[in-house]
Amino acid sequence: MSARAGLKAGQAGQAGQVVERLEIQKAWLVDPVAGREGPGEIVVSDGVLESVVWLEGDEAGGVDDRGVVVAPGLLEMHAHFREPGFEDAETVATGCAAAAHGGYTTAAVMPNTQPALDEPGILERVRAAAAASGSPVEVLAYGAVSLDRAGEQLSAMGELADAGVVGYSDDGACVRTPRLLRSALLYAGMLGLPIVDHCEDAELTAGAEANEGYVASVLGLAGWPAAAEVNAVSRDIAVLADALRDEPRARLHLTHLSTAAALDAVRRARAAGLPVTCDVTPHHLAFTDEWIAGSRRWSWEALAADGLSGDPWVDGALTAAPYDTSLRVNPPLRTPADAAACLAAVLDGTAGAVVTDHAPHTAVDKEVEFGRAINGISGIETALGILLSFVDAGKLPLARAVAALTTGPAGIMAGWSRVAGTAAARPRGLTEGAAADLVVFDRADSWQVTADSLLSKGKNTPLLGRSLPGRVLFTVAGGRLAYQDPSPDQA
Amino acid sequence: MTDRQIMTGDEIRRAIIRISHEIVEKQAGTEGLALVGIQRRGVPLAQRIAAAIEEHEGVRPPVGALDITFYRDDLSLVAQQPIVKGTDLPFDLNGATVVLIDDVLYTGRTIRCAMDALIDFGRPRAIRLAVLIDRGHRELPIRADHVGKNVPTSREEIVHVHVAEMDGTDEVAIARQAGDDTDRR
Amino acid sequence: MSAQAGAGAAQAARKDAAPTQDVAWHHRHVLDVDVLTWPEIELIMRTAEEMGGILARPIRKVPALNGRRVTTLFYEASTRTRVSFETAARNLSADVVSIATATSSVTKGESLVDTIRTLEALGAEILIMRHSVSGAPYLAAQVFSGHVLNGGDGWHAHPTQALLDLYTMRQHVPGGDLRGRKVVIVGDVLHSRVARSNIWSLTAAGADLWLCGPATLLRGLDRWAAAWEGGKVPGHGRFHVTSDVAAAIRDADVVMALRIQRERMQSGLLPSLREYAARFGINAERVSRARPEAIVMHPGPMNEGVEIAPDVAASGRSVVTEQVSNGVAIRMALLYLLAGSHDGTVPGAAR
Repeated sequence: MSARAGLKAGQAGQAGQVVERLEIQKAWLVDPVAGREGPGEIVVSDGVLESVVWLEGDEAGGVDDRGVVVAPGLLEMHAHFREPGFEDAETVATGCAAAAHGGYTTAAVMPNTQPALDEPGILERVRAAAAASGSPVEVLAYGAVSLDRAGEQLSAMGELADAGVVGYSDDGACVRTPRLLRSALLYAGMLGLPIVDHCEDAELTAGAEANEGYVASVLGLAGWPAAAEVNAVSRDIAVLADALRDEPRARLHLTHLSTAAALDAVRRARAAGLPVTCDVTPHHLAFTDEWIAGSRRWSWEALAADGLSGDPWVDGALTAAPYDTSLRVNPPLRTPADAAACLAAVLDGTAGAVVTDHAPHTAVDKEVEFGRAINGISGIETALGILLSFVDAGKLPLARAVAALTTGPAGIMAGWSRVAGTAAARPRGLTEGAAADLVVFDRADSWQVTADSLLSKGKNTPLLGRSLPGRVLFTVAGGRLAYQDPSPDQA
Repeated sequence: MTDRQIMTGDEIRRAIIRISHEIVEKQAGTEGLALVGIQRRGVPLAQRIAAAIEEHEGVRPPVGALDITFYRDDLSLVAQQPIVKGTDLPFDLNGATVVLIDDVLYTGRTIRCAMDALIDFGRPRAIRLAVLIDRGHRELPIRADHVGKNVPTSREEIVHVHVAEMDGTDEVAIARQAGDDTDRR
Repeated sequence: MSAQAGAGAAQAARKDAAPTQDVAWHHRHVLDVDVLTWPEIELIMRTAEEMGGILARPIRKVPALNGRRVTTLFYEASTRTRVSFETAARNLSADVVSIATATSSVTKGESLVDTIRTLEALGAEILIMRHSVSGAPYLAAQVFSGHVLNGGDGWHAHPTQALLDLYTMRQHVPGGDLRGRKVVIVGDVLHSRVARSNIWSLTAAGADLWLCGPATLLRGLDRWAAAWEGGKVPGHGRFHVTSDVAAAIRDADVVMALRIQRERMQSGLLPSLREYAARFGINAERVSRARPEAIVMHPGPMNEGVEIAPDVAASGRSVVTEQVSNGVAIRMALLYLLAGSHDGTVPGAAR
């Protein structure tokens, strides 16, 4: 455990309670709203971020961005908390605990619960569970696009909007038909809310197991073509362009894009002025289909000097057993070149946010043959560590990483008129006088990802046994302590 | 690890001649005799004994080679010595008096395997055993009919038999070496 | 086989000077050919040769695996391969149990992991698995404390088939050396675990390997061949992928036909089996373009009249029946090597 200069947290309090007093001295502050980062100190008193002091000159000596960092609380735009219906895999309570451990103070959950979140009664159950958990993490929700996510009729969109959903999605599946998508865009646009789509042409992906490519060819796995994602993205963009003529408030957000081609399509659409946004996940940034063959090198390490994907069988990169089901995810892990395209999209703003698509699953659902394993990676606790690995490798500036997890998603949500101006889309900065909403992590300290250290019920991550940089020390949500590192090393 | 020579080339030669006489004496002739050398060093020894018998009897008994790899009771040796050397028995065992020939008799397990193997090939009238060295420490009730030399040893010692056909020289030496007993014959 | 009767010291010396005398076997499982080094493959070939010798004896049995429990767990119906494995195990005096999943609790929804744990509790030491999902034996290897031998998984691998194919080919080329020899595999390569494992073993053997079939059934293989261009993967040469069956077969030393399944037609990958037979079928005319001494192989079971013409299947060039008997020898060799690979700590081993 490294020395942490000037942490006074003795009275921070119990999890869930208002933070009486928290002082962080001589740390590196990152405020993406102010567009500023540097040495500084903060004081939280009675739940309010009482003071934010930027240090200059001699006072700032010795403080760099490689130690303790203070950033705004992270905003998760896409998570699965599985309740109601799949409480074995996760509950709202455990999901919030996991989110806080990951540094998140807000999480927007997807409606593929059972029953699906297609009417306000289910939303009430989710809210009640959040309240009962005692966690200060703010839980937002998307409503389903279609009734029971069946892709036939629209869900109770108006009622859901009144009840406070932040958008609509049939995630887990693509909005089934172009006709339904068009209706949804129009109706939701009228309500000032977006359609968040999971882009997958199901006809092309029937029976698919892994990204269609070299690795799948060698491993004998049924291929998941890039065309399946590009097709759906192109369809969605074309339908959006039409819908805008009738309803200028129509908004489209494409979630967890994974291929270079799809990201290119979004880039072109945005350049043409279409109100489409997208996000990428940490696992599509950092892992590749090589991992299924047994590689465990980061995506940038798998890229040859000429920018082409390396070959794990040639490069001696195989260090783990193949066919690890914790790597089965939808969309599938792609090539190193695709991962590089995801990073480029984050850097040039095409992908406005990094979201985890936190998908916890039980061991029963994962400890099966690869082709039969359920898709999903439990990622909300490892997202920060993964992005910090990019920062450590010099691939991503720290401020951009923080922005991708805070102001990025907040900015996307602020583009949805019904959400803009609500607390959900508040700017994520270090603002004096506001309720404290921040995460404090130590880049000089790492943590081991193990079944015990993960607070989520979902232990389905290929990072088990690995250490990640950036141990989270405190997460404060809305002035209350959401997470505190249990190690004894605090003065 | 210092080797102590216990048989010179000449001593080996004389022992082989004596054994060849004993074998014929016990059989009261060469009728029905067949020599089977146990891989690996038992095979050249069997060839030499057959040549010696031919020398003084004018008749050369048939010689075969027996690989007991697949009859061992200890498969853990497979990992270290997976190579099989081959079995070749170019005569009918049924009714023959087979003299098994090996270089060193130790625990007796090799001979037990060899008998199992032989019986899978046919039904010999009798099986006898001739060894160059008997080093004691039997773990099974097995006895050699013909012995070149009895050499009391301790379990920490290893008996090295070198034959010119394989090792370039004829010699028997004892080395003291602590450690695993993988050469338990 | 050794020829020492009446021979002198010279022959004994030559045999003992076998180049891989010091290869030790350390693999706990045999899941695919990709992790085997060439010396290890040669060890398997030589051990199989000895096993072949046992098969030629009046008593085709040795006690090497006496009392060891071998269990076959076949999720895909396959009488031929299962019987081949069972025969191999019995020839080594092992006790064999066969799980036919159609009648087992698997149909009641028991997971693979639970099935394996149950079998382990029942004393299984060596598990021979065939499964329709690629990668399943790797999962088995993680949860089973004994040895796993892959009898075929999905589209991915069929190591014993590739090894017996290699063994058979070596018996028919001069010097048993496949370096530079042209081997062509024609058929549904995309869905073939036999093809994939043969890619690994034949490129390790230095053969000039050609994969041939209609473009829909070659999808992705070109990418793989391109990745291996220029001998990039240590120990494995490049291979060719083409739909030009004439170019592929021309001057080939070995022609292997792969089975075409009716489902490929139904899933839109082939217009018809008749068209496949006409354009790609191994018939007498096509085979005549191969070398005069070329052999014809097939992993079986054959769809005569589709991927292979009946007269070719029955011709003197066909070594299909040898493949079957070599299969038993190869499987005996692998069972023998696996059984001895763990320092005697396999649970329940009779000692």
